[in-house]
Amino acid sequence: MARFIRSRLAAVVVAALVALGLFVPADPTDAQRKKILNIAAKEPDTLDPHASTLGQSQAIARFMFRGLTRFAIKDGKVTTAEAEPDLAQSWTLSPDGTLWTFKLRKGVQFHKGFGEMTAEDVKFSFERQINKTPGTRYGVNLDVIKSIEVVDPHTVQIVLKAFDPIFLLRMAGYQQGYVVSKKAAANHDQFKWNPIGTGPFYFDRHSPREKVVLKAFDKFVGGRPQIDEVHWFDVPEDATKLIGLEKGTFDLLYPEATTCDFAEQVKKIGAVLDQWGPGGQQRFYIDMTHKPFDDIRVRKAFMHAIDRKAIKETMYCGDIARLATSVVPPGYFGHAPMNFPEYNPEKAKKLLAEAGFPNGFTIKNYFISKSFFYPKVLTLAQEQLKQVGINVELQVVEHATFHENIRKNLNPFVLYGGTRITDADPWLSLFFDSKEIPDPATGNKGTNFAHYRAIDDLLAAGRVERDQKKRAAIYAEAQKRMERDLVCLPIQDVSNQWARNPKRVSNPFDPNYGEFSLHYSYNYPEMLKIIN
Amino acid sequence: MVTYVLRRLLVAVPMLLGAMSIVFFAMRVLPGDPCVAMMGDQATSEALADCTRNLGLNRPLVVQYADYMWRSVQLDFGKSLRQGYPVSEYIGRMFPHTFILVMAAAVVAALVGIPVGIVSALKRRNPLIDYPLRIFALLGLSMPVFWLGILLLIFFSLRLNLFPLIGGGDLDGVISMIRTGEIFRYPGDFLAAVADVLHHLALPALALGFTLAATVSRLSRSAMLEVISQDYIRTARAKGQIERAVVYKHALRNMMVPLLTIIGLFVAIALTGTVLTETVFTRPGLGKMLVDAIGARDYPLAQGAITVFTMIIITVNLMVDMLYAAVDPRITYK
Repeated sequence: MARFIRSRLAAVVVAALVALGLFVPADPTDAQRKKILNIAAKEPDTLDPHASTLGQSQAIARFMFRGLTRFAIKDGKVTTAEAEPDLAQSWTLSPDGTLWTFKLRKGVQFHKGFGEMTAEDVKFSFERQINKTPGTRYGVNLDVIKSIEVVDPHTVQIVLKAFDPIFLLRMAGYQQGYVVSKKAAANHDQFKWNPIGTGPFYFDRHSPREKVVLKAFDKFVGGRPQIDEVHWFDVPEDATKLIGLEKGTFDLLYPEATTCDFAEQVKKIGAVLDQWGPGGQQRFYIDMTHKPFDDIRVRKAFMHAIDRKAIKETMYCGDIARLATSVVPPGYFGHAPMNFPEYNPEKAKKLLAEAGFPNGFTIKNYFISKSFFYPKVLTLAQEQLKQVGINVELQVVEHATFHENIRKNLNPFVLYGGTRITDADPWLSLFFDSKEIPDPATGNKGTNFAHYRAIDDLLAAGRVERDQKKRAAIYAEAQKRMERDLVCLPIQDVSNQWARNPKRVSNPFDPNYGEFSLHYSYNYPEMLKIIN
Repeated sequence: MVTYVLRRLLVAVPMLLGAMSIVFFAMRVLPGDPCVAMMGDQATSEALADCTRNLGLNRPLVVQYADYMWRSVQLDFGKSLRQGYPVSEYIGRMFPHTFILVMAAAVVAALVGIPVGIVSALKRRNPLIDYPLRIFALLGLSMPVFWLGILLLIFFSLRLNLFPLIGGGDLDGVISMIRTGEIFRYPGDFLAAVADVLHHLALPALALGFTLAATVSRLSRSAMLEVISQDYIRTARAKGQIERAVVYKHALRNMMVPLLTIIGLFVAIALTGTVLTETVFTRPGLGKMLVDAIGARDYPLAQGAITVFTMIIITVNLMVDMLYAAVDPRITYK
């Protein structure tokens, strides 16, 4: 009996495994014919380009949408500092600097037969955000707009409340700048997963928690892309993504975080890292209202205690990242190099003693996110701070909890990272304008974690200044004040990176900072080509 | 019988409402704001305030609770905060993936666990057979499904390159072909798609099924031990029936009643197992959806998923009770 059962069982298991394991994938002729780009990333939370701030959602949006302008290609490189025509073929600015007139390119088609793009679509695209249609996220970036008028189907006029030095960058195909089909987006809820744009690929289908499929758009204004389909897989783990890249399951991957180990693995399997500037800056904000950091000597001691170079090299060896030189990263308009207290634990101890902490002090219940770079950077900093007597008792929490707690001002210093439009105005306004000081009492969930108030006047002046040299001087002064007040210690500028199998996919731009981008991905996905 | 079923269904209602209430408040107790989770590092204060208002999260908790319960009794579980899909539609799309995984794991568990349990019981006096089988059961019970899953992935997918690394195959496509009738127009494509789904299913089913098989084998063994000590088995042997007939005709059917008892438990274990299995194999399904929903503080989706899990377990337990009567004529319900 037992032998009978054993033999049958063994036969069934072996037969099943062999049959399934040796099964040839479906329809090989089809696979050979189509050029499919397989991407491993996280699943987007929406395909409405105005509705998500997550990296993966912004990255996939660029495959489907375009803006009036685009980041310029200069000398074979993409720069985020200048804009050039895209859906608009030309524009003019009134002498007072408040009226922009855009002439739209004719014959630009929306996906899936939604017709030609007109000025009505442009007006709708911006107004849905200004009017804060539920779910849209970037209306704040269009606050400068007073009104939008359709002059004719191919001309649109935008009136500003005041001159805006970065308006053309705001109109680029990125976040608030994308133009969507009015007809399709009128139903906001449906648009989330039935997006209609003018980009090189159109949305085909979404299998939740598995993949999003995009297909080449025959009528794309720049010509049909060489790639027929893009399969965007939901793969949360970087280790799984790497294995998939090595095995040929994926051609491109968007890592959660690029570390030395990751970069080494990529190199080892013969893939390349496409690196884009200016990337995200990781920095410490020191809450100058929080004892004992209200004493500038303690803030200075903190900065002397942090060995930024060691953190950078441990986290992002080689050229994965660059040591930060200012709170406004290089590549942003208005960047000016700053000096920060050098790494010197002895000086730190001396300053602490002067401030009344000869034996240092302990920070209890310091919250740090378990995600991304946060725990690693903080653990390194914790060890360095310990050397000078500052003990940080870490509590590792979920990312959402971390965000909530830092907005409740529970951490006396905050580690934070980010990327924004590459100009000092939006960047400094978001992180150092007093309007952005988080306050649980009023519900303000801003990101001025330093509670800094000393550059409000400069920010206001910079917003109305039309002379670029004078603007640059204003922001240089802002950085000088921050250098004086010691409220922020930038650690490193980390490039945005994707890993690519170069034997499968080619990219016309140099992998090593050949592109600057803001949406964590390729500016021109239509230029990617499947090699075999 | 009908009265019995109705009575059980009535009892299930407060049970379900209780579970939903616990889940509702448990999700709110978790620290973390859904809007912050959605927007990540790019959240501005204004955007967060808008988001909180739009999602109705600024209302008093009692109001949110009352709204949730009222909608739920109308079978409206709301929309996913993160992706905007109606929760019922989302669950409907995830359910087939989890269903086939649980079914396939059940087949593996039954094919492996029951014979192992039977042989182990019948050969309990032969240490060369019984001990290895008991070690097998012990291994299965102590080996976490995620660990076994990783081992299978390393060996079969990475080393031998026999199975896909991630995904669940085009199950949506298969379902769509059945629904639209394309199955008859393109039978070849349909079969290829089904085979692809099975190809993706094999390793997850094996991982989950193996851990379940251990439980099944232990229970089968004790059920069989109990049955073969009964008088009618002795009588059958005394009549001179061969051992195979004794086992198949008399023992096997009678051991089904105690085995059925554990099917309810089995489904609960399997559903819990899918959470880990789907995560390890990066497969779509209710389990992975639940983990992601909790991580993203997607309240409606997490609540909906747990409600569905609860409903499945209640339904399966009811069905098991009804099956008793089918398997054992001595049992009747009034």
